[in-house]
Amino acid sequence: MNMLTVRGLTKKYPKFTLQDVSFSVLQGRIMGLIGKNGAGKSTTLKSMLNMVCPDKGHIQMLGRDFRAEEEACKQEIGVVLGGTDFYQYKKLADITAVTRRFYSHWDNPAYQKYMQMFELEPQKQIKQLSNGMKVKYLIALALSHNARLLILDEPTSGLDPVARDDLLGLFQQLVKSGERSILFSTHITSDLDKCADDITYIKDGKVLMSAEKEAFIQSFQHLKKPGESGLLTLEEIMVRTERVRYDV
Amino acid sequence: MMFNLIYKEFRLAAHPTLYIFMLLGAMVIIPSYPYSVVFLYGCLAPFITLFYGRENNDTFYTALLPVKKRDVVKAKCLLFGIAEIGQIVIAAAFALLRYSIMPDGNPVGIEANAAYFGFGLIIFALFNLIFLTQFYKTAYKVGKAFIAAIIPAVLCIVAIEAFAHIPATAWLDSVSPDAMIRQIPILIAGIVFYIVGMIFTYHVAAKRFERVDL
Repeated sequence: MNMLTVRGLTKKYPKFTLQDVSFSVLQGRIMGLIGKNGAGKSTTLKSMLNMVCPDKGHIQMLGRDFRAEEEACKQEIGVVLGGTDFYQYKKLADITAVTRRFYSHWDNPAYQKYMQMFELEPQKQIKQLSNGMKVKYLIALALSHNARLLILDEPTSGLDPVARDDLLGLFQQLVKSGERSILFSTHITSDLDKCADDITYIKDGKVLMSAEKEAFIQSFQHLKKPGESGLLTLEEIMVRTERVRYDV
Repeated sequence: MMFNLIYKEFRLAAHPTLYIFMLLGAMVIIPSYPYSVVFLYGCLAPFITLFYGRENNDTFYTALLPVKKRDVVKAKCLLFGIAEIGQIVIAAAFALLRYSIMPDGNPVGIEANAAYFGFGLIIFALFNLIFLTQFYKTAYKVGKAFIAAIIPAVLCIVAIEAFAHIPATAWLDSVSPDAMIRQIPILIAGIVFYIVGMIFTYHVAAKRFERVDL
């Protein structure tokens, strides 16, 4: 079952166009959205969520038309915008007290469980949390309203290797039951080597390829140099695809 | 859902000065003071709250909640409406107290009378219209929107205070029962202007915000 289907998503800016982006996220899987900085990953996610007004495109989320049923769709998703801190000087308890009111399926015992599991203290302010803990707090909020689709925009950017590994392990745990899916944008491709099931590669605002990870890697093996053995990694694929030569 | 959004406004988004400026309505008890300046504080409160909201990514947080984009604007309009009307109500209560314990008029500027409150509502309506509709063009240029809105508000305040010193408009600077009856249409005009202005402000600002790319 498709948890998310994006079809023909287009957004024109004066100097950049997100053009005809299409991909699907299957239930129980982690989809990695890769591309270099400025390729259009965040614009794709924000256009999907109506935070940016797309010029064209259709979003089917959890069996619903997102444009027509935005509020109902948002009841069942969790969004983490990496590097965007909300209310830095507010305590987690205050933010939770407000957030929980908006979700009809809020599960307080589950929230308490995730707060303990992630070692989050409700009386701490947002600014007192490390970047990894901030992501975990937002994931705790999402899981507490039974979000079935997690949309994470660069959640591992700026994290140390230990915190990144910790989060990637968590993502894998979250989809293990087969009920949740994760769409995860990043330019740190090694994260996806570890945890993604499917990859969508965006280059200059267009989807270069969207496929199951193994098939994706196989399809780029023509980039191998003579004498190279073994499969190219996602990082090598991205670097070789994006490489620019400067004549200076 | 709107109640939840207003709860969010008060608990997370409102800067503490919103409450302080609301309480400054009590300044009409000062025996000698240009009372119209009280409305200037009322205009500063929405500016500081939106500035504080921008620094705390309030718009991003709210846009991710299961609410309509235009309801984000409606909640903000209601927050500022509550703060402004709250300031007017506090000022009215202290004006009654002032004239019962200090019946002598305000030698500096306009009296806290019916016309004063009518003018105050007009200032707030005008300020909100410019400030919020300009701000929601981008949802981040709060300083530019404030400058555009505060200049007409200050000019109105100067005009109101000037009325107290012009013989032809002396009836606007009185708390005598006859003068107050003459001032009632200004108060009614202020109430109508404020309500219609706020509804119009919401519609224009919401429409603009729906087109903003966050």
